[in-house]
Amino acid sequence: MSFLELAGIQKSFGPVQVVHDFDMTIEKGEFVSFLGPSGCGKTTVLRMIAGFETPSGGTIKINGKNQESLKPNQRNIGMVFQAYALFPNMTVHDNVAFGLKIAGMNKAAVDARVKEMLGLIHLGHLADRFPYQMSGGQQQRVALARALAPKPQVLLLDEPLSALDAKIRVSLREEIRMIQQQLGITTVFVTHDQEEALSISDRIVVMNSGRADQIGTPFDIYNKPATRFVASFVGTLNLIEATVVDPASNRISIGDQAITLREPLGPVKAGDTVSLALRPEAGSIAESAKGDTALTGQVVSSNFLGSVIRTRMKVGDPVISFDMFNAPGLSPPAVGDVVTLRFTASDLLIIRE
Amino acid sequence: MKTQKIGAWIAVLFGASYFIIPLIATFEFSLRMRRGEYSFDAYRSVFSDVQFRESFSYSIVMAILTIVFGILLVVPTAYWVRLRLPQMRPFVEFITLMPLVIPAIVIVFGYLRLYNSSSFIPFTGSARGTDLLLMFSFMTLSLPYMYRSVDTAMRTIDVATLTEAAQSLGASWPTIMFKCIFPNVMSGVLSGAFITFAIVIGEFTMPSLLNRPAFGPYLQLIGANRAYEPPALAIIAFAITWASMALLQLVSRFSKSAPSKP
Repeated sequence: MSFLELAGIQKSFGPVQVVHDFDMTIEKGEFVSFLGPSGCGKTTVLRMIAGFETPSGGTIKINGKNQESLKPNQRNIGMVFQAYALFPNMTVHDNVAFGLKIAGMNKAAVDARVKEMLGLIHLGHLADRFPYQMSGGQQQRVALARALAPKPQVLLLDEPLSALDAKIRVSLREEIRMIQQQLGITTVFVTHDQEEALSISDRIVVMNSGRADQIGTPFDIYNKPATRFVASFVGTLNLIEATVVDPASNRISIGDQAITLREPLGPVKAGDTVSLALRPEAGSIAESAKGDTALTGQVVSSNFLGSVIRTRMKVGDPVISFDMFNAPGLSPPAVGDVVTLRFTASDLLIIRE
Repeated sequence: MKTQKIGAWIAVLFGASYFIIPLIATFEFSLRMRRGEYSFDAYRSVFSDVQFRESFSYSIVMAILTIVFGILLVVPTAYWVRLRLPQMRPFVEFITLMPLVIPAIVIVFGYLRLYNSSSFIPFTGSARGTDLLLMFSFMTLSLPYMYRSVDTAMRTIDVATLTEAAQSLGASWPTIMFKCIFPNVMSGVLSGAFITFAIVIGEFTMPSLLNRPAFGPYLQLIGANRAYEPPALAIIAFAITWASMALLQLVSRFSKSAPSKP
């Protein structure tokens, strides 16, 4: 039995349905990220788990117990918000102690637990400070300690890094992951930042228009996108329209150049169009088009992005981007050059939805 | 830049003098009871008057009760409107503005008609009942100021997220209200309380027509029959109001900066 079970969850606001038949199971100690653009329903699902929204349909179970009849303050769920939500009238110590006092712990136990939590986030020396005397990153760490202090059964993180600057985001997300692993707490993390989701999750749920388009490990989500949306939302991707030449031998053509795919084309006939995905980092420039999996085209732009150089080349109608790692002495292709991009057949993925 | 600063100071001094000069003149006049020399005879006369002590104490008690019940009415209302009924905000604001556009005398006649001794709710049938009615009328009069002060203070905090944060930590509604929301709107509550205090101390129409021994009618009575005591009373009223305000400020500042004891 899974620790957190979401079965057939639906949510409508008036006539607008924002979550459709959302099913998911999360194991104890797992770190799952809900990833998707604004308005895709990821925060709504999180809020339903917390009890702040009532599902229009479906069931939510935590540790086998149905949560429907429980109010948010009865669910024993820790939550961290984008806006920190520390109580401005309380010090760091009192913020972290808040949930413990409500749970009825005695003063000595409260103080010990607060000390332990502040030690975990390395802010023990700021116990007497008020939230307004701290930076955003520090406040969010306190919010995390406050949420974890009463030992919740599930930790919910609602875009906790969105309000922070880039450097703090990276360090804090690593800290969150470390603490999560250390405590072994089941965690659901909502974000619209794919890098965040890819870097710290055990599994990712990519959400689109209130539905889970794909649930998988970061590796699977990135390398084997199940839908066109997942392919385009996660990472940079070339979406190429190709024409089927011979379905039996998986042969297609891009522009007027033929390629044999490794993956079976499925029930298509010659002349049909199929969508293919190719990551920019999958290919490399070759001297000549040896073998079958190479495309030759004319460079239309070449942009220096620091660690990589992203080049776009025209192969008939489609324009394909590819990356080259920056290195001293590298001479990037110039606009107008004719180059050959070589890759393996398995790098070309068929997008079926 | 320097000229601008001097100009600003002149404007401030001019504005302040508009308030301070009459106050000084009132104070100076209150000292002239004894012919040919300054004295505190007027103050002595006021303080020795039993009616002053009774009416002032009565108004102070009424002011405290009005503030307490006003807070209990306004803070949860403003909180709930912000949290759950934002679409009702214009309506609630309109209701709270009514006492500004309906004269006090109209309100009090309405009360007398609705709550007289032969009505279903005979507030005016007893002294305590009339006191209660008077307190409600003071609450009504101070509603526009109290509601706005509290609502403005609530605008500075994220009421919804703080509530959800507290709920996720297991807090019940009373805990959320009194530990998370109330202390964070204290500045607004205090502003509303100051204005309520001033309104209650100075209000004449309501207590006069409800025939209660408040400070406003006493002030009017003395003003109509004596020369030096009214300015002395005005100064005393000012001093007590200011002292109360300073005390409230001190209390709020002290409670906010008190460190925790880990």
